[in-house]
Amino acid sequence: MNITRRATLSTAAIAAAAAGLPGIARAQAKQVVVGTWGGDYGELLRQHIDTPLMGPQGIEVLQDVANADPRKTKLLAERQARRGTFDVACLSDTDMQMMAQQNTLDTLDFGRLSRAGSIVPALRKPYAIPHIYSALVLLYNPDKVTTAPTSFADMWDPKYRGRVGFSDILYSTNTFAAAMAGGGSFSDYGPAKGKLMELRSLDAKIFPSNEALAAALKGEEVWMTPMWLARGYMWQKAGIPLRHVVPKEGAYAILFEAALPRNSRNKDNAYTYLDAMLKPEAQTAFADRMGYLPTVTDATLPPEIASRISLSEADQARLRSPDYDYLTRAHSEVLDFWNKQFKG
Amino acid sequence: MAALVLPAGILVSLLLVAPMLLLFRISLNEYSPTEMMVEAMSAANYLRAVADPYYRSVLGTTLAVATGSTLLALVLGFPAAYWLARMQGRWKSLATILVLFPLLVGNVVRAAGWMALLGNGGAINAGLRGLGLIAAPLPLLYNTGAVVAGIVAVVLPYMVLTLSAVIESIPRQTEEAASNLGAHPMTVFRRVVLPLALPGVAAGSVLVFVLCMNTYASAVLLGGPQFKMMAPAVYDQFVRGNNWPFGAALAFILLGITLVLTVAGSAMLGRRYRRRQSEETT
Repeated sequence: MNITRRATLSTAAIAAAAAGLPGIARAQAKQVVVGTWGGDYGELLRQHIDTPLMGPQGIEVLQDVANADPRKTKLLAERQARRGTFDVACLSDTDMQMMAQQNTLDTLDFGRLSRAGSIVPALRKPYAIPHIYSALVLLYNPDKVTTAPTSFADMWDPKYRGRVGFSDILYSTNTFAAAMAGGGSFSDYGPAKGKLMELRSLDAKIFPSNEALAAALKGEEVWMTPMWLARGYMWQKAGIPLRHVVPKEGAYAILFEAALPRNSRNKDNAYTYLDAMLKPEAQTAFADRMGYLPTVTDATLPPEIASRISLSEADQARLRSPDYDYLTRAHSEVLDFWNKQFKG
Repeated sequence: MAALVLPAGILVSLLLVAPMLLLFRISLNEYSPTEMMVEAMSAANYLRAVADPYYRSVLGTTLAVATGSTLLALVLGFPAAYWLARMQGRWKSLATILVLFPLLVGNVVRAAGWMALLGNGGAINAGLRGLGLIAAPLPLLYNTGAVVAGIVAVVLPYMVLTLSAVIESIPRQTEEAASNLGAHPMTVFRRVVLPLALPGVAAGSVLVFVLCMNTYASAVLLGGPQFKMMAPAVYDQFVRGNNWPFGAALAFILLGITLVLTVAGSAMLGRRYRRRQSEETT
């Protein structure tokens, strides 16, 4: 048999029909697709937003679970597409800024959010709502590190040779800590290079994930690490002996945000979702379980939680926003240095 | 008859050839931190990868691990394949299923199992500490040995099945004839079985080598953050660094080298097999 015109056409028709089917199935229900992390974060969204707040409005929430990096890649890859995967994308402030700069996000119409007035003013951005936040701190094991550290620079004390641990996925944050210890700034990570190599010769340990680092802290294999306060709170709750300090060189807050990709297919439902994320009851759940602070002024925390995760005024004074522009420009170089020199 | 190829042909060109062409085009672009990538037609990414000693060492590690794992799989797989091929009766299908069994478990799940076994708090270290044989945990994870062990466990079924299919086609009488003429079992293996099984050795090694070169999960999970192979390096550039052009160039370098080595390797084994056959017929 030769290839005939009819055979070619019918095969093409089958292929086209198969490709079209998912689209037909998708158009029916009232849905919103949320690109989010899995684990506790995704589960808390489900328990405190998806089911109690979105369900009664007849909107089905579909979670597209992945880590931040694949989510960013998806947003970038779909930049030119008319219909994107996500209706709402959750990312950290640094990543979100990068995505906004790459023109993947809508400028939000805050008039469509009934909760817009309650947002902590300092956390507000034109392209995203703040969801929860925490501060970068130095975590340490008080049984082993008997003199409480006060600065990132204390990680370079030869007493702690082999006892400083880093999470590989926080390469940018770790580089920042090294830069600050070496006299750098929010806009100059240059001094980090020398400091990281110094720490390398002091046998600093690198772990592939935050969880692996937690296991090493628990086993007292390492005693000190730069980390989010919220993580420290969760690990303390899990029985790991830890204290924290906001380093005197200064540090930044990490803010988890949610935004609307420009090619979102269900924008109305997405706005409803963002509004629900700002409800006080949804926010306090994250404080209780994960130790993150609310981003709205009218969410009150139970006193015992507040005392463990809130920041004193002196601590708050040491916190600043990262220099997003610098981070976008320096990101590639920071990653290269981390991979090739520090880990190499 | 040509129409029979059409469905598979369309699928492959849509899902493989088209994305590859796109990726190749991307590899010629320039990276920009603010715009992600700028259209260009330059080989700069390829030159940078080749000139950078870091990527040369990543490639070296990848080649060493892939070659070592392939040889190990061959040495471990051959006796098992021989045993399987010479098996008779109903136990044979059971044994084949047992060989296939590891393939039912995903790579990531399997690597997670190795982590639970080899980690500092893992089963082996906990056991040895419990028995009082060691004071500090042995560093079993996050090294080349762990990666090779993980990879070999993944690729061994492919090697065994490919080899046993070929060994099965070698008539048993040839071995019996050699033995009758007084050949030692090792001589029978070296002079009769191995030469006749060369096509299987070539096919199995090529298949396994390609899988090893592209190892991702085992390298990341068992090698740890300081162990670098090409596939994780490509992923790093795309997903962490957002540098698609350079990531694409690395991917094509990996593809090119794998292709050249497998073609050269199978051509070499093929020539040896044909030479031996012609020696025997003349």
